[in-house]
Amino acid sequence: MKSVSLFIALLSCHLAAFEQNATYLVLNHFDKPLVGINESLINNFSNSTFNFDSSVDALFGDIDKYNNPASSYMNDIKDLGDTYNVNFILLNRIEHRGDRVMIEGLLFNTRSGGLIHRRKINLKNYDNGLVNELSLWVASTMNQIQKQWENEREALMFLDSEDITYDKTPMGAALRSLVVPGWGQAYSGNSLSAGLWATIQLSLSVAFISSYNNYDSSAKSFLENVKLYDATDDEKEVEMYRTSAEKDWNDHVGYSKLAIALAGTTLTGWVSNSIHAWVFGPRPFTNIYQKGISQSTYPKG
Amino acid sequence: MRGFYGHTISLFVVTVFGSCTIYDKIFDNPVDFKANEEQGIGAPTLVFYPKTQTVTQSDSLLLGSFIVFMEDSIEPFSGVHLQIQFPNNLVELDTIVPGLFITDTNKATPLFTYTYNNENTVDIYTYFLDTLKQDISGTGHLANLIFNPISSGTDSIYYNLQECEMIDHLDQEIVVNGIRGAEVIIE
Repeated sequence: MKSVSLFIALLSCHLAAFEQNATYLVLNHFDKPLVGINESLINNFSNSTFNFDSSVDALFGDIDKYNNPASSYMNDIKDLGDTYNVNFILLNRIEHRGDRVMIEGLLFNTRSGGLIHRRKINLKNYDNGLVNELSLWVASTMNQIQKQWENEREALMFLDSEDITYDKTPMGAALRSLVVPGWGQAYSGNSLSAGLWATIQLSLSVAFISSYNNYDSSAKSFLENVKLYDATDDEKEVEMYRTSAEKDWNDHVGYSKLAIALAGTTLTGWVSNSIHAWVFGPRPFTNIYQKGISQSTYPKG
Repeated sequence: MRGFYGHTISLFVVTVFGSCTIYDKIFDNPVDFKANEEQGIGAPTLVFYPKTQTVTQSDSLLLGSFIVFMEDSIEPFSGVHLQIQFPNNLVELDTIVPGLFITDTNKATPLFTYTYNNENTVDIYTYFLDTLKQDISGTGHLANLIFNPISSGTDSIYYNLQECEMIDHLDQEIVVNGIRGAEVIIE
């Protein structure tokens, strides 16, 4: 992650419900400068002390790449705890991807070095709510959330739910896959699944069409041979046309059964493909907000 | 959504199943010994060809008389007596000519005669005559009968099995095991 700005804030606070005199090291890793964050922290948490040091490089990468994210930086956390003499480390990371902003918050216990709480927010066009969001997150760890911050978040997030429109929907994906197998999956951004569905359905469709064509030609040949069989009184021709007609009849029955079986399979696959597109279709992010640490789960420094 | 899927599936099923018609396998050519056998008619069989024909009153009705053997039970024969009965209220007898089989495809001149009782029965007597062969064998064409329609309707022309007879060159009778008539429709 590109770290444009790294703020280190040593926050000494006095917590009523969490732990008396617990101290926090707050690390902000932002890919863009966030104007007013320092002032906001100082003003919003006036009973706390902040120290900023931008000389410290980024300490944490993407913890999701580790098998056990909670314990991936235990030694670094312990070292930081010793260095800054703090009980907890709060890491705030902000990353922009197009018009979306990802806000991640990690709370580490310096005594164990483990990750004890985490939250992730992924929102579209939410730059004007970042300062407020960080205040909420820091405050939630200290149980100092102010109602006005929550109101501001709601004002920004949910101006009018009726106005929320989604560019891509599960139904849109399902209908697309009903028209062209794999289109709905591609529309949802799953190109591997789209390719698989398209290949399977294309193969089944080709097999069905081939079987149907064979059925059709066998049926026509059968009818033609029956016509010739009925029209002749020559015993050799009768036998020849009958033999040919019987072969054509067996073929047209076999290809008919095969075509129907393939049609059923194709249809089932087609509908399944559409349902799959709907089930795994694009949906609004449901994990945009995780409520902060509740009192019952607060760590005991 | 459920209705949309339902209609789509129904349309597809109807299209596919409706398109894949299984035709009836009906083989019923009178000259086909297998067809006769399937109908329980034993060989040798006296049959008419075609089994059904429709003509207008201004057309002639041409009916072929055939003897049909099974492939594995062919017996040589020399003479045949056919008694044929027809609905004289619908058709009248016009002409009777020898078939290609009994003339050995025009190489031999057979004994071929018939009697007509001026009502509804005609008796055909034919004997294979050749300078080299004494008999013929296999399935073949015995005679052609030409009728003229006189009124409209539907009826059958058929053999009288009790009077029909087949013999070899030693005058030994060859049992005829079955007959098939022909349906005529005069419009």
